[in-house]
Amino acid sequence: MLALTLETPTWAHRLPAGAKMAAMALVMVAVLPASNVPVIAALVGVTAALYASLGAVAVRRGLRLLRPLALVVAVILAWHWWMDAVQQGALICLRILGLVALANLVTMTTRLDDMMAVIEWLLGPLRRVGVNPAALSLALALTIRCIPVLLGKAGALAEAWRARSPRRPGVRVAVPLALAALDDAERISEALRARGGIPRAQQPDRRRKRGTEWNDR
Amino acid sequence: MHRTHGIDLSEVSVTHDGRRALGPLSLRLSEARIGIVGRNGSGKSTLLRVIAGLVTPDAGAVRVAGADVVRDRAAALRAVGILFQNPDHQIIFPTVIEEVAFGLTQLGAPRAEARRRAAEVLEAQGRAGWADRSTHALSQGQRQFLCLLAVLAMAPQTIVLDEPFTGLDIPTRLQLGRAIAGLSQQVVMVTHDVALLEGFDRVLWLDGGELRGDGPAATVLAAFTDAMQAEGARDPCWP
Repeated sequence: MLALTLETPTWAHRLPAGAKMAAMALVMVAVLPASNVPVIAALVGVTAALYASLGAVAVRRGLRLLRPLALVVAVILAWHWWMDAVQQGALICLRILGLVALANLVTMTTRLDDMMAVIEWLLGPLRRVGVNPAALSLALALTIRCIPVLLGKAGALAEAWRARSPRRPGVRVAVPLALAALDDAERISEALRARGGIPRAQQPDRRRKRGTEWNDR
Repeated sequence: MHRTHGIDLSEVSVTHDGRRALGPLSLRLSEARIGIVGRNGSGKSTLLRVIAGLVTPDAGAVRVAGADVVRDRAAALRAVGILFQNPDHQIIFPTVIEEVAFGLTQLGAPRAEARRRAAEVLEAQGRAGWADRSTHALSQGQRQFLCLLAVLAMAPQTIVLDEPFTGLDIPTRLQLGRAIAGLSQQVVMVTHDVALLEGFDRVLWLDGGELRGDGPAATVLAAFTDAMQAEGARDPCWP
């Protein structure tokens, strides 16, 4: 399952989402051009200290979320070892791990709709050119919500396959899975329509009117 | 807009791929508890979706609490809420509080106020601890209950339910059944379990998209059960 947000509140949960995301962006801008030992050591040290201050659950979750990077890190290290530049390779890997861990930390301690509010605010100016920030943030929420549902569907299809075949399912379940996803999409759109359709961006002056016009045909 | 309570269908018909799925049907539903029974494919779910304004009839008009639920979606939200059979087809958001607050922002509440009122709804139902839970981590029954809370938060006049008890264990079924029985709203429920409809004010029996029975629960359910037993006793003639 996709449990991005830590459920037990910590001090980091109380910081405003915008502040955490701005700090994250600043750190990235600062660290990316300066890949020397002190900067990377500081990045890794501070990130580790932040995780430690949130408790053992956060540390475990943080390490687990880094696992998908193992392959990338291994390839980079192997390449640099081959090129006889192990130190440089190690710095690059630590930079990736440190920045991703830091970004995960922001995700883990920020509620999705708070993050969406910041993104909506950032995208606000695009409203002039016809972009609906509220629709974008809804799409984001739907994606996160649907990943575990789709994984469950894939698991069920694989199980149905294995119940009647000695071979492994492999890619042959991809088409039925895609069809199931389309069917789900149709039902979700119905559920969305049942509760007012795709939201409009929040505009203080015409708050009472927004929300449901999209579907008023 | 004239204010009336209940559901008005006049000469409603729905076709799917050229085949008539429902109607023509004219009904005035003003009772507090209405059940809908019928075999698979008899048009029960289509009728519910018509009432909720999710399916546009090919002919006829539908009004709930005076609102044209198909065209005036803003008014429809206050008139009718729908609970689907599978909560996974209904839950849009990753956390409980967002799921409940969504409908409130759709009704025009600012984000912070929607969040606060959603928390009140959870509190009132003894589920304050759920606010930050992941919707995926809830059990099937809990997810179905969450869907009901999300609909209740929007305070519609009528709630329609499409086989809400499917796949639930007996205690969850009883708890959800009690929650539904206690609602002050008008309830329209589709179910295969006739025992759940005992004590309902009115039961509609659909067959091939048409009304085969309509009346007090005891009378309609007795006739329905007899007919179903008789049809079930015959061997199937699947093509």
